[in-house]
Amino acid sequence: MDRRAAFFALAALICAVLVPLAEEEFRTLTICVGATYLVLALASFFDHRSRPR
Amino acid sequence: MEDATLIFVVVVALGFDFVNGFHDAANSIATVVSTRVLTPRQAVAWAASFNFIAFLVFGTHVATTIAKDVVEQGVLSIGVIFAGLVGAIVWDLITFWFGLPTSSSHALVGGMAGAAVAKGGFDVLVSEGLRKIGLFIILSPLIGLAVGLILTVVISWAFFRVRRLDRLNKGFRRGQLVSAAAFSLGHGANDAQKTMGIILALLIAGGHVADNGEVPLWVVLAAHTAIGLGTLAGGWRIVKTMGSKITRLQPAGGVAAETAAAATLFFTSAAGVPVSTTHTITGAIVGVGAARRLSAVRWGVAGRVVWAWVLTIPGAFLISALTYYAVEAFA
Repeated sequence: MDRRAAFFALAALICAVLVPLAEEEFRTLTICVGATYLVLALASFFDHRSRPR
Repeated sequence: MEDATLIFVVVVALGFDFVNGFHDAANSIATVVSTRVLTPRQAVAWAASFNFIAFLVFGTHVATTIAKDVVEQGVLSIGVIFAGLVGAIVWDLITFWFGLPTSSSHALVGGMAGAAVAKGGFDVLVSEGLRKIGLFIILSPLIGLAVGLILTVVISWAFFRVRRLDRLNKGFRRGQLVSAAAFSLGHGANDAQKTMGIILALLIAGGHVADNGEVPLWVVLAAHTAIGLGTLAGGWRIVKTMGSKITRLQPAGGVAAETAAAATLFFTSAAGVPVSTTHTITGAIVGVGAARRLSAVRWGVAGRVVWAWVLTIPGAFLISALTYYAVEAFA
């Protein structure tokens, strides 16, 4: 289990929850931060999987 | 008599700003001190200078948000603002005593809200403004963390072929002077404006400035001077927590963390959002540590910090509400 990927995925989930609560002017920012964490979660997951054990 | 009370509360507000500089000086200089780029004495002087000149760079949007978007203007009186300030200062001093890097900004918001609710009930809270502040309580450390992590990865990729590590570190040590200055600039801009907002609210409540009035220049200068002097006085307990207990930093990591936090503060100050400089730099430091591996972050310390964040608004809220009742009883 890659704990770092799980941490980033949780951060992406928090941002997703915040999107409907955010004011219109900050909605795009919230989406961008969430998308960044999703990319980081995927990158961390594949990085962890590709490492020789 | 009322003017004398107003002057007294303005002095208390500037005292809060001083404590804020004192409390948060650690955020600006912890990484510079922990990576031994500057001595503690040089570092506080460096940070204080950039705290002070921040007024030349940024507007007063954050001040306006604090003065007008936390509680309804009608409920603001000298007593409410005084009680709010007392709650924030007492909370800051309690957390300072325990060496916890909590947010002076959230203490201020919690304090203002507590005193206003004690006077006028929960209806006086401005939900739109509090929603904006609440959103960035979560977003600002997350943005700092992501930018800090990405910058660390970019720096690692850019310099992984370099064999002369001593020369590379020397370069980043110089770079840290710039990144620490940028962070201090952001700190001065966002945090000094919170005091400006309080004084603006006081002046509006006292009838010295119109409801839609701007922040007077003397308020801007006084707030930046107070935070600069507070930073000069320094806060060493928190330097230790921020600089080495969350994760061990190298000069390159220090540059990444401070640049990430400075970028977040520049954005939020321009957008008029009062954020916690403490949350932002803590997120950025965690991001730098997490770029290596998640276990490089000492989660026990980070968790203690998170608990202090969770308790800040309710803690300051409660102290301010009690202070307001005491003020009312004795006034």
